[in-house]
Amino acid sequence: MQLATMLGAPGTAMRLPQQEWDSAVTAALVDSFTVHHVGNRFFRAQCDAVGVSPGDIRSRADLAKIPLIPVSMFKSPDAHVLLTASLNDIELDIRSTGTGGVPSVARRDTATLTRAVTGIMGTYRDLFAVSRGAGLFLCPSTAEAPEMGMVKVFNLLNGLFDDHTYLVRDYAFDPEEAVAYLNRWAGETTRHVVGPPFLVNRLLRFLELEETPLQLDPESLVITLGGWKRYTGESIGRDEFDAKVGTWLGVAPDRVRDMYGMIESNMLAVECEHHRKHVPPWCYISIRDVTDSAVELAPGQTGGIAILDATNSGYPGFLMSDDIGEVDESGCPCGRTGQTVTFRRRRQGAELGCCAVSIEKFIESNELVAECAVPEAVR
Amino acid sequence: MGRFSPTVVDHFTNPRNSGQVADASVRAFVGNPVCGDQILLTAAVADGVVTDIRFQAFGCSASLAVASLLTEVVKGKGLDEVAALDADRVVELAGGLTPDQRHVAGLAADVAHRLVDNFHQGVNDDDPISCGA
Repeated sequence: MQLATMLGAPGTAMRLPQQEWDSAVTAALVDSFTVHHVGNRFFRAQCDAVGVSPGDIRSRADLAKIPLIPVSMFKSPDAHVLLTASLNDIELDIRSTGTGGVPSVARRDTATLTRAVTGIMGTYRDLFAVSRGAGLFLCPSTAEAPEMGMVKVFNLLNGLFDDHTYLVRDYAFDPEEAVAYLNRWAGETTRHVVGPPFLVNRLLRFLELEETPLQLDPESLVITLGGWKRYTGESIGRDEFDAKVGTWLGVAPDRVRDMYGMIESNMLAVECEHHRKHVPPWCYISIRDVTDSAVELAPGQTGGIAILDATNSGYPGFLMSDDIGEVDESGCPCGRTGQTVTFRRRRQGAELGCCAVSIEKFIESNELVAECAVPEAVR
Repeated sequence: MGRFSPTVVDHFTNPRNSGQVADASVRAFVGNPVCGDQILLTAAVADGVVTDIRFQAFGCSASLAVASLLTEVVKGKGLDEVAALDADRVVELAGGLTPDQRHVAGLAADVAHRLVDNFHQGVNDDDPISCGA
């Protein structure tokens, strides 16, 4: 199956027999590797340094030979050297900041964006099967944060709903307003809640402290993206979160779906009902030994997450992230094949950098967040 | 015009005066603390004239290019001329900016003005870019 076919039919591509997926993703990545090897002097120099060229990549086992770009390079003032495309082909700068405050900026060219949008929409359709309902987005709108990666990804999801509202406005989030929207939509449409875990958690805390449990709808989804650790250092446990969603929003765990991605990559791994995050079939996640990133670890072993993405034409989509986790290629009970990925933590010493942190800082830049100010008043 | 003017493409692709001036007379930083563009200027000033200037910038492509352009424009100029730079003039010098890019002209003018103000007041901004990188 060719890249364009996978992008147009991700549901089919995610159910290919494992051997067929293996061949398809390898071929797509070799094509992408060739584009960057030919057109990117910086990347070519990395390839020359380790003595690898597209002709050396003959099977999936060879993909580990492709040089990786550390995501920290996207914070570099010299990031222009990463570009394979000319600046005039760059259509969108996507960014996120971490705790250090220096933005990571990934420049997408037109072809990359077309592929990314097509692939992400198809992935949403396959994993969420939504085409109606109302989305309560606990994040800023694209108008307010036009280049924030998470917001862009959520905004694509918005296109599948009949109605929506963005509830981080003017640098503030009011959980009372969120509840008002959910009540307004009750009985009229299926209600979905979308946002970074820390803000969904703030909504849950508000409901808990107000002692006002809600019962959303049978088809409701709670969709999260953006990391489970907060800028403040507080972690949000997944099991506890799912239990609270069940108690206070009336949504079953199999309808709580987390996603994993990073602004430097178009790879968006989306959870199925079994809470396994499916890597898009046009991407390959390679787990690397944390002490030697040249060493690829077997599925099930924990290490540094490297992402190889065939959709990038603006810059090489072969990235060494600061995340630690593992992949599973055992096949999922949902019937999808390929890889699933589990994020465990950030690499030791890596700054905490994700869009959830950006949004938290976005809010905290205007309000000193005592978590959920309204419940304070009812104590 | 394409997405970027030839001037912006040139400065983005071949940035001039990047880095920091050693033993700078003055340092000025302007940026959005959340996820916006950031420009740090360091300059040597003698007899009211900017004799050397370098930049560090993070953010969108246009902001990097305009920061580079700004250093070329400011180098050799008197502080009064630097203080007179405004966003419209930066847009003009950049060969035009699209509506989505125009914010960087304001950022460039702001950091130029801050450089002059900091010099007159004898203050220097912290270096959040280097600290954070």
